[in-house]
Amino acid sequence: MVMSASARVGKSYVFMSIIISTAIILLILTFLLINSWQAISEIGWGVFSSEWHPAAGKFGILAMIYGSVAVMIIALTIAIPLGIMTAVFTAEVLPAKYRFYVKSMLELLAGIPSIIYGLIGIVFLSVWIEDFFALQSGRTILAGGILLAIMVLPTVITLSDDALHNVPAKYREAARGLGLYPYEVLKSAVLPHAVNDIAGALLLALGRVLGETMAVMLVIGSIDRIPVPFLNTLLPGQTITSKLGREIAETAFGSLEFSALIFMGLLLLVFVLAFTILAQTFFYQPEQRLYE
Amino acid sequence: MSRQLRNRLFLLVSSGAVLLCTAILLFLFSVITWNGINALSPSFLLTASRSFGAEGGIFYQILGSLLMVLTAALICLPLALGAAIYKSEYLKNARLQKASAILIYGLNGIPSVIFGIFGLILFVNILNTGISWFVGAIILAIMMLPTVVLATFQAMNSIPEIYRESARALGLNHWQVVTGVLLPQGFAGAITGLLLGLARAIGETAPIMFIATAFSGIEIPHALNEPVTALPTHILALAQQATDPRALQNAWGASFVLIGLVTLFSITGLISRTKFKTVSQR
Amino acid sequence: MRNLFLFFFSIILLFSCSESKVVKIAGSSTVLPVISQAAEQFRLKHPNIRIIVNAGGSGVGVNQIGEGKLDIGMISRELAQSEIDRYPNTAFQTHDIGRDAVVPVVSSEIYDAGIQALTLAQIGDIYKGDIRNWQALSGPDREILVLDKESSRGTRHVFMSAVFNDKNAAAPGADLVLGSNNEEQTAIVQSDGAIGMLSHAWFNADVKGLSIILADNKAISPTLENIRSSAFPIVRALSLVTNGQPEGDVKLFIDFLLSDTGQQIVEDNGYVRIR
Repeated sequence: MVMSASARVGKSYVFMSIIISTAIILLILTFLLINSWQAISEIGWGVFSSEWHPAAGKFGILAMIYGSVAVMIIALTIAIPLGIMTAVFTAEVLPAKYRFYVKSMLELLAGIPSIIYGLIGIVFLSVWIEDFFALQSGRTILAGGILLAIMVLPTVITLSDDALHNVPAKYREAARGLGLYPYEVLKSAVLPHAVNDIAGALLLALGRVLGETMAVMLVIGSIDRIPVPFLNTLLPGQTITSKLGREIAETAFGSLEFSALIFMGLLLLVFVLAFTILAQTFFYQPEQRLYE
Repeated sequence: MSRQLRNRLFLLVSSGAVLLCTAILLFLFSVITWNGINALSPSFLLTASRSFGAEGGIFYQILGSLLMVLTAALICLPLALGAAIYKSEYLKNARLQKASAILIYGLNGIPSVIFGIFGLILFVNILNTGISWFVGAIILAIMMLPTVVLATFQAMNSIPEIYRESARALGLNHWQVVTGVLLPQGFAGAITGLLLGLARAIGETAPIMFIATAFSGIEIPHALNEPVTALPTHILALAQQATDPRALQNAWGASFVLIGLVTLFSITGLISRTKFKTVSQR
Repeated sequence: MRNLFLFFFSIILLFSCSESKVVKIAGSSTVLPVISQAAEQFRLKHPNIRIIVNAGGSGVGVNQIGEGKLDIGMISRELAQSEIDRYPNTAFQTHDIGRDAVVPVVSSEIYDAGIQALTLAQIGDIYKGDIRNWQALSGPDREILVLDKESSRGTRHVFMSAVFNDKNAAAPGADLVLGSNNEEQTAIVQSDGAIGMLSHAWFNADVKGLSIILADNKAISPTLENIRSSAFPIVRALSLVTNGQPEGDVKLFIDFLLSDTGQQIVEDNGYVRIR
């Protein structure tokens, strides 16, 4: 059969579309790699040192890595237990007719832009932390971590709730039929089937926490320093994202400092992508749903 | 510990978690709503901002945000439709299916600040566009792309096979089936995806703050390579002067309007999703 | 939905066609309020010239002039030789529009408790981290919250040059790093034991400027007279920078800033006029 002209144009249009759509992510990776090359070749392993002082030629990014990991651990330590326990309630205890409202509420909450969390963080949270711990300033790693926990909570709840909800009812009924208490039903019949999906949800939450910028940038204090003592999160710090958000636009394009900043961005991207792809490849069918 | 006690403890901890979450939720909503409504007035919505945003309103910030995200939607739509058609009709190799899915949906996981940096390098510096609202729109379009492709693809995939077969039986060629059967369905899905994508894009600060927005002197951009003012970056500027009560009040007002727009887009999106579902299940 | 798109698209087209000239300005957040206000007034006289003002810091002003993205850069410090070298094809020209002081500022609680003047050496010790409590300066027993600024900020360059003789000096004693003057002012207001560096236009009820004690034990306070006469030790020019001689609209705007009206705006914003 001879293809009509419109079919040929149409086919090449859809082909171009898929090529562009799939190429963008590769393009982003390539650009970050090219622009961080100067830092990689000139500084080399020196980037993994702890002092950042461009005027003296020191480009150590350990303080930023520390900050990113620290806020991530704080955020997940709060959000995971709180989120999963709440999801257990909404999926197992709450009557089904209320579920729709809870889900809509969570969706609304997840939609609050991060800059508004930043505003709340600077007006309330950092001031509370300052007063509560009698600090000189509430702009601390802890403030960043708590704020991120609040931001990621709706995602953790709604995904865990889905995971629990997707466990077929027959398992629950069978367990209840044995006369088990709700706690035992959950532990022995429901959780084992949901644990895979919950793990995927947590990986996505992890990626989101690592990549969040605006809220953290406003409350963390933005000092490129690893706290002394090491685990004191009541001190200010810096994450990769807050460093980029504050300084990338102020740095001359093509300078070594710019390149070192881009290298940090590349590092962040590689880790976040790894978590996202891991989550979508091993825990979900990627066609089913997009989790943000 | 007895079984009953353990069960009680579990219920206690669980309801404690729920209470805490509810408290957080109530706090967030009441803070934003209460402070926001107090800051709102017709003149706040309809006048330009003055003196660092501490005085005046947010008229051009609203316009600028809408201009940028709606243009982003326009850029995103044809690309997403095309990619979804290709995925659903021509991409039959399972490995390529999987690879394209990872590449497109991987885009969804990229931190927003990385998009801003990508725009800064490629457009602002290499292509030398300068700070430009149109570049901001392109970057936001890229951010929305996965959501829209997925929604379109799902809509096309949910078309019963019988439709395609009967269209084929009528003697339509493959492309005519695409335009006659898939496209109308896919378009409905794309609109749903676009609305959800818009809800996310309009609240983003990090992707646009290096590449698309300026501080003052902007009303409506007159050319593609001019900057714009937007709600999220305006809130950022105001949040940094949070001890000035006038600036803070305007920050709450702008936040309230921004959340209003986000909610408007997501609710329309959710309605469109349910409406569209019933159509395909007929 | 489609109609909405069409509507917006036609608005864009409409505006892209209309004739109008643009002057793009960015840089120092110290100069920003003057320029921003001047632009509003300038617009009244020249409705067809639009002036777009953006923040970012002095470094941004210089870099973007070098990269050809701006018509005017705002700087609150001198141009560095390294910057001139970095952009060999750019003929940087600076135009002073006012004078200002960078003042060590403290929270009002500290000022009221008696700390109203320090020597540059004492300030240096605070930023080096050698003095960590106000008690060491015979103030209240309270830890010092040391505020630093992002490294590209003009205010930081001027301050560090005066205190350490090195505009890029590291400040190991710093607790927080902030960006714009507004952000720094906010952090000082929120604290009761902070020290920072600010242009003297940013003083308010909670943010107090310190006098500086000179070698001869004379305390010089950051008053307008002392800034005008350069008696205060940390003074600077507020400048605009262009690539080559300004022409056309850019010249018109700079001339406006140097006119009596323009200089009045400089003064209204808390700086010292130069004409």
